[in-house]
Amino acid sequence: MNTIQPNEDDKKLSKLLHEWKVEASLPPRFQEQVWRRIEKAEHAPNAPSVWTVIAHWVGTVLPRPALAASYVAILLAIGVTAGWAQAQQETAQVKADLADRYVRVLDPYQAPRH
Amino acid sequence: MKKGVLILVFGLVAATVAYGCIYFICTASARNMQSSNQPELAWLKEEFNLSGSEFKRVSELHAAYLPQCGEMCREIDAQNVKLQALLSGTTSMTHEITAALAESSRLRSECQTMMLRHFFQVSQAMPPEQGRRYLAWVKEKAFLPDFGMPGNKTPDGPPESTRQ
Repeated sequence: MNTIQPNEDDKKLSKLLHEWKVEASLPPRFQEQVWRRIEKAEHAPNAPSVWTVIAHWVGTVLPRPALAASYVAILLAIGVTAGWAQAQQETAQVKADLADRYVRVLDPYQAPRH
Repeated sequence: MKKGVLILVFGLVAATVAYGCIYFICTASARNMQSSNQPELAWLKEEFNLSGSEFKRVSELHAAYLPQCGEMCREIDAQNVKLQALLSGTTSMTHEITAALAESSRLRSECQTMMLRHFFQVSQAMPPEQGRRYLAWVKEKAFLPDFGMPGNKTPDGPPESTRQ
């Protein structure tokens, strides 16, 4: 059974705390800087989400005539370039297949056997 | 906001339509070749810039060659069957196998002679520069220097640099 009383514990702790001395010195204007940081954090605006930024951009910036025209022109250019590149690739593939077919038709050693 | 969304959607639709139109226009020649009666001849016409009369002559040569080619295919197949039968029934070299191999070689030589004669005729039906380009390409495709061994791939189409 514990024979030490609670108020006796408090006295010991209190004595110990009084004996404890902090030897490290605080940086200059420490307290002022802490308060400044607290104040700054309280006044900092919340960062907007990506969707908010996009919605804001679509609603206010995109309708400007010059920007809208540029946007449509760039997308048109991308569409044309992509269509042309895809068509070139497929046409080249078709031509290569037909070239092989031409030789297979003429060469009995390459002709498909039925 | 509504105007901005409309512009956004309009740009995307315009890009999609532009993609589709350009793709459709640029693949028209390939579609035409594929949908013709003899796609390989349609390819030959376009690839070597043949005029109507040149293409007609090439088509006639092609049509005349095909029955000979078919007959040669039948002879080669029959000879292969005969050779396989001989090989499956023996464990040593026989005179029959030697004779069958010699006949296979003769057939190959005859086939290559026939093909080469046809290639020369076709090249002569083309404009000189195109004929030379055709011969260079078709000889490489039909007379493989590696005898069809894997690992050495010949080009798919004729060289671009000398096209007119």
